[in-house]
Amino acid sequence: MNKQQFLNNADVEVHTLEFWIEQQWLIPDRTTDEDSFSDTDVARAHLIHDLKGDFGVNDEGIDVILHLVDQLHGLRRAFEQLQKDMQGSPR
Amino acid sequence: MRSPYEILGVEATASAADLQKAYRKLAKKLHPDLNPGDKAAEEKFKEVTAAYDLLGDVDKRKRFDAGEIDASGAERPQHRYYRDFAGADQGHPYADASGYADYMDSDDAFAELLRRSEQARANRRGRDLHYSLSIDFAESITGAAKRLTLPDGGTLDVTIPPGLVDGQILRLRGKGAPGTGKGGPGDALIEVEVRPDPRFAREGDDISLELPISLSEAVLGGKVRVPTPTGDVTMTVPKGSNTGTTLRLRGKGAPHAGGGHGDEFVKLKVVLPKGPDPALEAFVETWDRKAFNPREDGAS
Repeated sequence: MNKQQFLNNADVEVHTLEFWIEQQWLIPDRTTDEDSFSDTDVARAHLIHDLKGDFGVNDEGIDVILHLVDQLHGLRRAFEQLQKDMQGSPR
Repeated sequence: MRSPYEILGVEATASAADLQKAYRKLAKKLHPDLNPGDKAAEEKFKEVTAAYDLLGDVDKRKRFDAGEIDASGAERPQHRYYRDFAGADQGHPYADASGYADYMDSDDAFAELLRRSEQARANRRGRDLHYSLSIDFAESITGAAKRLTLPDGGTLDVTIPPGLVDGQILRLRGKGAPGTGKGGPGDALIEVEVRPDPRFAREGDDISLELPISLSEAVLGGKVRVPTPTGDVTMTVPKGSNTGTTLRLRGKGAPHAGGGHGDEFVKLKVVLPKGPDPALEAFVETWDRKAFNPREDGAS
């Protein structure tokens, strides 16, 4: 989706989006001329929104949380791969 | 069904601040994205946010307490959580292997497996690279094309927009470090320093300059050359000008944001010849207004 569609779907202001991209909290696809956003970006924007708005987390805290959440997903993914591999290998 | 007060674990008399505190405490613990492996967390989180959406709204809470509405129907619009995407097979730019990178370094099959998984997911935007550049004052007003030599020997063409101010940061999209996969490159961020020019001062979009003129140019008027950011121009000094007289060169300043340009203000300064000048002394001796006192107007 393009920037405008993203702003509508994620319910954020354009200045907020620019700041989030600058902080690398959001990383739009830049392989084409125009920034393009995925459903993952929208879901991530909702998470940032919840953290900032509902939980009162400040900007430094967002950095730390996103980094840890991403690491956690990395670990889950590696764990899942391992599980698949073990199931597939002969005992 | 539990009441929203029970769900949040507060008394029915709880203040708005207590409600928010109780909600935040529970929501932080239950947010599905902070509990990616806990399927029940989402249901519990929904229950807690619905309770808070009802009680956190003064009007709704009043109506609920009065029995006018029940606890249902207060759910937030649904959206999908980040955890539904972050664990997906296809690569996305947020994939992060730093939680297990040390395990990938060994030679065993487990490490190989992790490396494969990481490669498939690597898709990240390149870093922004920071540079600095200094330009002349005149270039900051008129704009310029500069070429920056990078530490790795490469070059970067930078267009200085007219009217740039000292310390301004220019962003060159896609000129940062290369990314991997679909992440695309980062940006180059160039902080531009404007070297001061002893002749000019800038105020907003206008610039000012002090121009020395001779006694005869002040008294009799005449044409003088004046430096501007776009080169020297000829300006007419009117007859009877004085130190402090300010003349305006229209459009010689920095461009306005909405079109047009600021002006250059030229402040004249009458300068006598250096050292004693017998001819000038002799002339002033014969000047019939030798007794003129400029301090008579109240100026001390």
